[in-house]
Amino acid sequence: MTSDDLAFATIAEIAARYRRRALSPVELTRALLGRIERLDPTLHAFVTVTAEGALADARHAEAALRRDEDGNPLLGIPVAYKDIYATRGIRTTAGSAVLADWVPEDDATCVTRLARAGCVMLGKLITHEFAFGLQFPGHRFQPAKNPWSLEHMPGGSSSGSAAALAAGLAHGALGSDTGGSIRGPAAFCNIVGLKPTYGRVSRAGVITLSWTLDHTGPMARTVEDCALLLQALAGHDPADPASSREPVADYLVPLGQGIRGLRVGVPRAYFFEGVDAEVEKAFEEALATLRDLGATVTDVEIPSIQTSWAFLAILMAEAFAYHERDVRGHPELYGDVLRERLLAGGLILGSEYVQAQRLRSRLQAEMLGVLRRTDVLVTPTTPKPAPTFAAVWDPSFGFPKSNMAPFNMTGLPALAVPCGFSAQGLPLSLQIAGRPFDESTVLRLGHAYEQATEWHGRRPRI
Amino acid sequence: MTLDEVRARMKAAGIEIVENRLEMVRRLLTDALAPIHALDSRAARTLEPAVMFDAIRSAEPRRDDDDE
Repeated sequence: MTSDDLAFATIAEIAARYRRRALSPVELTRALLGRIERLDPTLHAFVTVTAEGALADARHAEAALRRDEDGNPLLGIPVAYKDIYATRGIRTTAGSAVLADWVPEDDATCVTRLARAGCVMLGKLITHEFAFGLQFPGHRFQPAKNPWSLEHMPGGSSSGSAAALAAGLAHGALGSDTGGSIRGPAAFCNIVGLKPTYGRVSRAGVITLSWTLDHTGPMARTVEDCALLLQALAGHDPADPASSREPVADYLVPLGQGIRGLRVGVPRAYFFEGVDAEVEKAFEEALATLRDLGATVTDVEIPSIQTSWAFLAILMAEAFAYHERDVRGHPELYGDVLRERLLAGGLILGSEYVQAQRLRSRLQAEMLGVLRRTDVLVTPTTPKPAPTFAAVWDPSFGFPKSNMAPFNMTGLPALAVPCGFSAQGLPLSLQIAGRPFDESTVLRLGHAYEQATEWHGRRPRI
Repeated sequence: MTLDEVRARMKAAGIEIVENRLEMVRRLLTDALAPIHALDSRAARTLEPAVMFDAIRSAEPRRDDDDE
């Protein structure tokens, strides 16, 4: 196995090599730290690299493997965290000058859970400012670059997480998703990202953007790797008031069960508005693959889907509530785009916020109704491939329409899986959403599709 | 939403936004509020934004202090 092969190996492959003693966690960690040192000055995926801590974690995992404590498939797996996950004793910036020197006293629950599973922490990954702004030229933190094209955005806000995975700088990462911030970067960087059901994975210790819409979840290069990470992350956390007590399913065993007989619904309205022709073509080809695998595919209707964009009113109002003191008191610490997005949230009336929440309830009821007749919904993850930095830095560039936000509004689990490339060589992605707490079926469909295609195996030339 | 409406809301909320960014804010608010302003509140079926209890498991509010 070449060093590139090692960097792009799946978590499952790495775990198997550890157990055959064909590779050690220290060896892999050193290789990745070297790769980060070589590539990250170009990609800017990392804000902080915790090399010493990573090697200490790796030595600990190595000792555990020697003692044959090998029941855990994440033992010795190198991961990194979006820089809005609190990490004890390690600077957590949220990509913002407001928290540029903040060193938390505790880990986020997700960080604790992956540490307990034996993961090696490589460092912290850049996020769009407070998961809602952008890094413009002159911003305190440089934006992450897309390994598939340095002129194109890697998406946001979990930009560093997606860039690091796409470049083979980590084997797993955590992101957060309030309107698509796990799935969008996954789509733009040809990786896999899962937004689990609201309440499935703890948000404790993760900096809030919107209490109603925030989700945490795993990002990786394959669906199986996402399932492995989710298995360690999922479960009730008393530190998160929204955390569910729903029992945690087995996310791995169902992956091998195929999708014959699964009912796939395609909501055409809303999700295909403004879709590029090549995105639509890749999507239709993905549907054909799903049919070949034995799924039945039918169009479905979600009557009030057009109201999904009320998500923005909830997001902005809640984000302003969270940031009000700082953005009023120290507006100079916020980047231009974020500051105005936050202040715009302060202009939303109480009655408008309540109506947005009522629309959310209606949309949720309708989607649950549709999901009584189908097992999953599939859509293009994004209507277009990644935009250029030049395009999004243009003042006329608005807040783009999102195919992902409806699943933040409804809290349903949603997965982004690679499904092709544009003529320009930019990744395209398929979104698969399911019933509440039915991540197993969503992952099963994603895995079956992934195994029948070769998109996820492509590597960028960096 | 017009720029004058944005300015009126800013005045009421005590919020200052620089003039050359107002158009961006206007577009953002227009997009966010369009579905809300299109809603006929009284014609819509009863929709509750409030927290709901899980009627299957318990009629009591959740208590987290006895967990884990």
